[in-house]
Amino acid sequence: MSLLELKNISKIYGELKALDNVNIKVEKGEWVAIMGPSGSGKSTMMNIIGCMDKPSLGEVLLDGVDISKESSKKLTEIRRDKIGLIFQQFHMVNYLTAVENVMVSQYYHSMPDEEEALEALGRVGLRERAKHLPSQLSGGEQQRVCVARALINAPELILADEPTGNLDEDNENIVLDLFRQLHREGTTLIVVTHDPEVAEIINENFQE
Amino acid sequence: MIRGALFRQRGKMLLIAFTIALGTSLATAMLNVMLDVGDKVNQELKTYGANITVKPKDSSLLSDLYDVEDDGDVIQTSYLKEEEVGKLKTIFWAFNIVDFAPFIDTGITLADGNQVKLVGTWFNHHLELPTGENLDVGVTSLRTWWDITEGSWLDEQTEGTENAVMIGAVLAEREGWKVGDAIFLEGPAGSCEAVVAGVFDAGGDEDEQIYAPLDLVQELSDTEGKVAYIEVSALTTPDNDLAKRAAQNPAALSAKDYETWYCTAYVSAICYQIQEAITDSVASAVRQVAESEGAILDKTQLLMILITILSLIGSALGISNLVTASVMERAQEIGLLKAIGAKDRSITGLVLTEILITALVGGVAGYFLGFGFAQLIGHSVFGSAIEMKVMVIPIVIVLISLVTAAGSLPAIRMVLRLRPAEVLHGSKA
Amino acid sequence: MSRRKMFLKMVTASLLRRRSRMLIALLSIAIGATILSGLVTIYYDVPRQMGAQFRGYGANMILVPSGEEKMTLEKARECLSVIPEDQLLGATPYRYANVEMTSRQRTFVAAATDFEQVQATSPYFAVEGRWPEGDREVLVGKETAETIGVKLNNVIELSYKPEDTYVKNTLNMTVVGILETGGDEEAYIFTTLKAMDALTGVSGQLDVMEMSVSAASEELENYVAEISEKNSDMSARLVKRVTKSETTVLAKLQSLVFLVTAVVLLLTMICVSTTMMAVVSERRKEIGLRKALGASDQSIRAEFLGEGMFLGLLGGILGTALGFAFAQVVSVNVFGSSITFQPLLLPITVIVSMGIAALSCLLPIRRAIEIDPALVLKGE
Repeated sequence: MSLLELKNISKIYGELKALDNVNIKVEKGEWVAIMGPSGSGKSTMMNIIGCMDKPSLGEVLLDGVDISKESSKKLTEIRRDKIGLIFQQFHMVNYLTAVENVMVSQYYHSMPDEEEALEALGRVGLRERAKHLPSQLSGGEQQRVCVARALINAPELILADEPTGNLDEDNENIVLDLFRQLHREGTTLIVVTHDPEVAEIINENFQE
Repeated sequence: MIRGALFRQRGKMLLIAFTIALGTSLATAMLNVMLDVGDKVNQELKTYGANITVKPKDSSLLSDLYDVEDDGDVIQTSYLKEEEVGKLKTIFWAFNIVDFAPFIDTGITLADGNQVKLVGTWFNHHLELPTGENLDVGVTSLRTWWDITEGSWLDEQTEGTENAVMIGAVLAEREGWKVGDAIFLEGPAGSCEAVVAGVFDAGGDEDEQIYAPLDLVQELSDTEGKVAYIEVSALTTPDNDLAKRAAQNPAALSAKDYETWYCTAYVSAICYQIQEAITDSVASAVRQVAESEGAILDKTQLLMILITILSLIGSALGISNLVTASVMERAQEIGLLKAIGAKDRSITGLVLTEILITALVGGVAGYFLGFGFAQLIGHSVFGSAIEMKVMVIPIVIVLISLVTAAGSLPAIRMVLRLRPAEVLHGSKA
Repeated sequence: MSRRKMFLKMVTASLLRRRSRMLIALLSIAIGATILSGLVTIYYDVPRQMGAQFRGYGANMILVPSGEEKMTLEKARECLSVIPEDQLLGATPYRYANVEMTSRQRTFVAAATDFEQVQATSPYFAVEGRWPEGDREVLVGKETAETIGVKLNNVIELSYKPEDTYVKNTLNMTVVGILETGGDEEAYIFTTLKAMDALTGVSGQLDVMEMSVSAASEELENYVAEISEKNSDMSARLVKRVTKSETTVLAKLQSLVFLVTAVVLLLTMICVSTTMMAVVSERRKEIGLRKALGASDQSIRAEFLGEGMFLGLLGGILGTALGFAFAQVVSVNVFGSSITFQPLLLPITVIVSMGIAALSCLLPIRRAIEIDPALVLKGE
């Protein structure tokens, strides 16, 4: 059974069809890139997969369960339990330190555990920056904290929306390396991007 | 550009305008009430009755003394002229003379031989002044503390009340009189039959006296056209040093002081003017009323001033607080403007203009709202409108502009100090 | 780390690390709380303080014997025991007699009294010269002084002939003060009770006792009823002119302060809310992020309310203290006396502050929560 399956998904805003009859299947452990130019409906699809929005038509099967008709409360729970999100603009709580930002995710999921959070920061190479506030971190470092935050609860699916869009090449490579590693460990990854190079890297690394 | 900013941020700007409107209305209401509270409380204090008595210059104190001796034999040697009573409304501070009533009294003998004091006065006397003004004056409004236990106030303006009298509750009980009873009064110069129109409980000596229309008493005591004394209720300004000096001897004042004193509604100035208007009269302040009135007025005004200051500080802080918050909220936008090369000064100008326009809108709305609040207070507390003072408008304008500027400038400066990159990176401090 | 600890950590971090915003919110709540506690204190204190001012109008209760018999000072004092000491500002005994002034061959009313008490019950008496201190000193009313032409420090001879004898009692008295009141008192000559006793040869008798009682009119009426009930030979009466007018004016003044308080409070509280709302609205993005991370609506609400209530608590305590200080300043400046702290005001102010803070947080939070996290997080 696929981890995620979109069946005939359409999203219509008034006159505008953001998505028209889309079908996708993502298997467990896959590393998928969703590509397209700006305005092609990538973000809409990302929002639907990330349980932040509902399709106008069609079914979304996550772990074989149709989530397209769920209440927003239920969707919040699913997002919390199964999905790790990474955003283009990083989005950290700006008055919390790096480790606290990671712990926020644990707090909503289950139980905050500073050790575990520090370990996660260690994985993204930021253990010694744990006590820094977002304003004291570079963009790349912030995004790595966000990666740590996304993987802290061991989600079945990590969803990244243009994760490297705001990063320089060095940081882009660091983040992509992290994804590669996660992929090797068997995490399912969906990356939304308009950058062909990123897609190319994903393509190279994808192991059947 | 400013218009764009105003419209696109409608929600936030509305919040600011709303808060400024509230602050302005608070300031307007409190200032208006504060400036008018003296007059209003002064009016209220008139319930204590007259604060000035006017007596003939050479009046002996015999009347008072013999009254205590209780033999009813009143000897009065000099009088005021009834025709001059209306002149009270022609003095400089005529507008401040709220009420007055002339009095004359005489001892009379009742049918059973008992002696009582008969007081002649105006109840609700209608006066037509040479100025064309019409007014009703008399004890009906001067003796607010009287309880009419039976019947009603004697109404001079209805037919057939020339021989009506009002009697004190103690006397009524002693003599067994009821409303409508005819009683026989024998005065020093004549006698008549009078009808009881009402019984009053005054809680004082009056409870053993009879009150009758002035004409009736004059007839019974052969004093036509004469009055013994006049009680005057006037709105006065609490005394200060100048008033105290003037009360001693107005002639000793310098010309400038004299003018200031004469043109202020001090009780001594009003007394002085009454003496000028009424021949051979001595007007003196009833200290029991005048003194306390001054103290209460002063206290009330001071109290209101302090409450006003508190609420002004409150609304000033409230407004500048919100303005500060709203500027900080726009850190990102300001950072962006800076990043695309805007000068600090033009950014400050832009934000300030936006906020001041908002403040203007809020301020105008707030002024009217505040005026409404002031009227609400005026009507529900004093039953009359609060006067709209023009001087409040510039005070409020200056206050609001200062407060808005004071709230926004430090915030703008603080935001401008941030590096644009920092602000734009979503890690706004 | 427990969930509660993390909760506290997030709340404190938000309060401490977003210092400028939190100070703004705290300041605004403290202003509201200051105005609340200050005005409410003043509102409750106004009748008491103003009531004291109204005592300037003089005695509001008199005590007279109900029969023909005169009363004694002891009897009068006994009646007064009904009135609590702190409410009785003064009780002035008066005894009247017609005395003759030998040199002028004229009769005047002499009022014997206790001058210390007169100054308490009739503060409006204005004396030129000074108040009498000894039994051979008198105060002469202005009118009498003018009629008979006596001046300060003149010595006058007063005499009284008791009914059952042929011998006049005569005393030489020094005029130490001329009394001005604008009322009937200006016709009297005031002596001490002892001097009157010596003149009349009868001691300890009184005609009337004037009292100045600082109490509301219902309370006064109760005292009057109680005195008359306990002492059948005495009758206490209210001076209607004073009590009735005081009730009217005081009621107006209190309703004035009440309405002013209500208007100021209403406007201030809305002001506080808008500021809180602005501070919370600013964090819409953060709310969106938390939602995206899987926070339930309740937990977001709990966090923000926790913060708001904490600010309310702090601001409330701060405001109570500041408000009391303000009321104290007002009281000392306006009435020249201090006020006592009402302990109940602290919990009330704190609860209201917390309530306002919570309410003004809830509205923007609810609006932020309703929005899809995706919309908040999407781009700048």
